[in-house]
Amino acid sequence: MGYPTSTDGTYTIVSLTGEVDLHCSPEAKKQILGLLGENKDVLIDLSAVEYIDSSAIASLVEALRMAKANQVKFGLVSVSTPAMKVLQLARLDKVFSIKDSVSDYTGKDG
Amino acid sequence: MNPTSNPPVIEINNLVAGYGGREILHGVNLTVNEGEIFVIMGGSGSGKTTLLRHILGLNTPTSGSVSVLGKNITHASRKELYELRKQFGVAFQSGALFGSMTVGENVQLPLREHSRLDDATIGIMTRMKLEMLNLAGFEDLMPSELSGGMLKRAGLARAVIMDPKLLFFDEPSAGLDPIVSAALDESILMLREAMRMSIVVVTHELESAFRIADRIMILFQGSVAITGTPEEVRNCDDERVQDFLNRRSVEEQLEPDEYLRRLTGHIQ
Amino acid sequence: MKRILDKIGGDALYFLNQAGLLTIFLFTTLQRMVMPPYRLFPVVKQIHFIGARSMLVILVAGTFTGMVIALQFYNTLVRFGSVNLLGSAVGISLIREMGPVLTALMVIGRAGSAICAEIGIMRSDEQIDALECMAIDPYRYLIAPKIIAGVISLPVLTFIFIFIGIMGGYLVGVLIFGVGEGAYFQGMYDGVLWSDIQMGLVKSLVFGLIIVWIASAKGFLLHLDRSGAYGAEGVSRITTNAVVLSSIAILFADYLISALMHEPGMAS
Repeated sequence: MGYPTSTDGTYTIVSLTGEVDLHCSPEAKKQILGLLGENKDVLIDLSAVEYIDSSAIASLVEALRMAKANQVKFGLVSVSTPAMKVLQLARLDKVFSIKDSVSDYTGKDG
Repeated sequence: MNPTSNPPVIEINNLVAGYGGREILHGVNLTVNEGEIFVIMGGSGSGKTTLLRHILGLNTPTSGSVSVLGKNITHASRKELYELRKQFGVAFQSGALFGSMTVGENVQLPLREHSRLDDATIGIMTRMKLEMLNLAGFEDLMPSELSGGMLKRAGLARAVIMDPKLLFFDEPSAGLDPIVSAALDESILMLREAMRMSIVVVTHELESAFRIADRIMILFQGSVAITGTPEEVRNCDDERVQDFLNRRSVEEQLEPDEYLRRLTGHIQ
Repeated sequence: MKRILDKIGGDALYFLNQAGLLTIFLFTTLQRMVMPPYRLFPVVKQIHFIGARSMLVILVAGTFTGMVIALQFYNTLVRFGSVNLLGSAVGISLIREMGPVLTALMVIGRAGSAICAEIGIMRSDEQIDALECMAIDPYRYLIAPKIIAGVISLPVLTFIFIFIGIMGGYLVGVLIFGVGEGAYFQGMYDGVLWSDIQMGLVKSLVFGLIIVWIASAKGFLLHLDRSGAYGAEGVSRITTNAVVLSSIAILFADYLISALMHEPGMAS
C-alpha cells in the first residue's frame, strides 16, 4: 500500500489524497521519510486532499527537517484550500516551500 | 458556509435534570449543527454548566434525550460513550491539567492513550498546538508553574490536540484579560475554519459571545429564554434577555416592614 | 426529642449511603482493572509513593514498638522466671498483631491521607471529569494502580516493621536486660509458627486494600459528600474522615481476621 508516486526530473512526487488523518498519517510518514532516506528530492502533491489533520502536518514537518539534514529538496505543490487553511492555522505556510505546480520546482515548461 | 443548514451534531429534546431532588433544567431543547459555533449563556444558577455536563455524558438526565454525533448517549454503554468521547475535546474552566505531569505530557495525553503515533510525531504535534496558543517553550514546565490564563490555554491545547470533531469550552474568558481573551476567540474561529470543528462554548461574557457565535442560547433559571443568531438575541423583547444583555440585576420589590425585620434579625 | 431522632436517622441513612457508595466504588475498580492491557509502570510509581512516604516512620515506629514490647514482656516474664521466652513473645506479637496493625496505621497517616487529598483535589479541579471526557477510565488509570500498589506495599512495609522491631527487642532484651542472644533468637525461631506468619501476611494484604480503597474512594466521591464543599475545606474534611474511617476499619478487620484464623498451636 502507499500513496501514489510519480517522478519528474530529480523529484519524486507523492500524491496525498482524500482524508489524511491520525489513521493514515503514519503510513504516509513512513513512505515519505523512506524516500528522503534514499536521498531523493521529494514533493508532496496536496491537490486531492479534502482533509488533513495535525498528525499529517507533523509528519510533513519531520520530513522537512530530515530533508534539510540530508540536504535534499522538499516542498509542497498544488496545496488544496482545506490543506492550506490547516497550514495557516499552524503558521507553517511560511515555513514550507509551497508552489502551485511541479514545473515551478523543475523549471520546465507546462 | 452557512452552518445552520448542516446536519446536527448535538440534539437535545426536552431535557429535565437536576441534583439530589432539586430540578435544575426544566425541559431544554437544543440543536447544534455541524461546523457551528454555539454559545450557551446565562447568569449563575441558570443551569448552563449542568447542561454542558449532560451533553458530555457526565450526568444522566431525569428525562429527555441527548444525542451527540447521532448517538443517544443516555442509553449508550460505557464503551460506546468512550468511543464517542474520543471525538470530543473539552477545555475546562481551570484547565484541569494533572499536577504530576509536565505541560507537554498533559497536552499529549490523549495521543498517548488513543493513537499509535510515534514519539517524534507526538512531540511535534504538541509543540504545534502550544505554539498556536502562545505557549511556546512551556512544554517542560509543571502546571504549578503556570498562571491561570496559561493553564486555560494549555487545557485548550490538550482539548484540540487530536483535532476533535466537537470542541467544548467551559468559560473560556473567565479570568483572562481582554487582549488574551480576544486572541483566544481568534483561535477558536481559526480552529473552526481550518479543522471543521463544531464548537460549544459556555460563557457569561457578552463581548466574547457576540464576537464568535453563530447562534446563542440564553438560559434563565433552567429554561431557555431564547435561541437565535446574535442579531435575533439582541432584538429579543423578552425582558429577562434584555436585563441580561444590559447587565441589569433583577430588582426585587422592597417591602419596608419585611426589610426592617430582616435587618434587625427578627424573622419568624 | 424529635430532632435527636431526626439526626440519628439522618446520620444512619447517610452512613448506609456512604457504605454503599464505597462498596460500589471498590467493585467497580476491581471489575474494570481485570481486563488487559495491563500497565506496570504506574503501579511501580505508586509503590514508590507509598513506600517512600512511609519508610521513615515505619523504621522509627518499628524500632520503638519492638523495644517497648520487649520491655513489657520482660517485665512479666521475669516474674515467672521465663525470660527465655522473650524472643518468641516479641516475635509472635510483632508478626501476628503489632506489625500489621501499626504499620497500617502509620501508612494511613502518611500515604492514605496523601492519596485521599490528591484524588479529592483532582475531583475538585475537574481533573477526573477531564479523564472521563478524554475517554480514559479513571478507575483503571487513577485508582487501580494505587490499589495494587497498596496490596503489594503493605506486606513489604510490615515485614520491615517486624524486622526492625525484632532488632529493637534485641536491643532492649539482650543488650540492656541481658537475656541470652542465643535464647532470644532461638526462642523466636522455635516459637513462631507458620500460622503466625500466615496471619500477619493475610492481615497486611487486607489492610493494604482497605487503606487505599477508603482513601481513594473518599477523595473520588468528594462531590457526593454531604458537606458538599469543593475546594480546600471540603478536601481537608474528607481527608480527615478517610483517616478515621480507615483506622477503624483496620481495627475491625484486625479482630475479624484474628478470630477467623485463630488456632492455638504448640511450639515445635
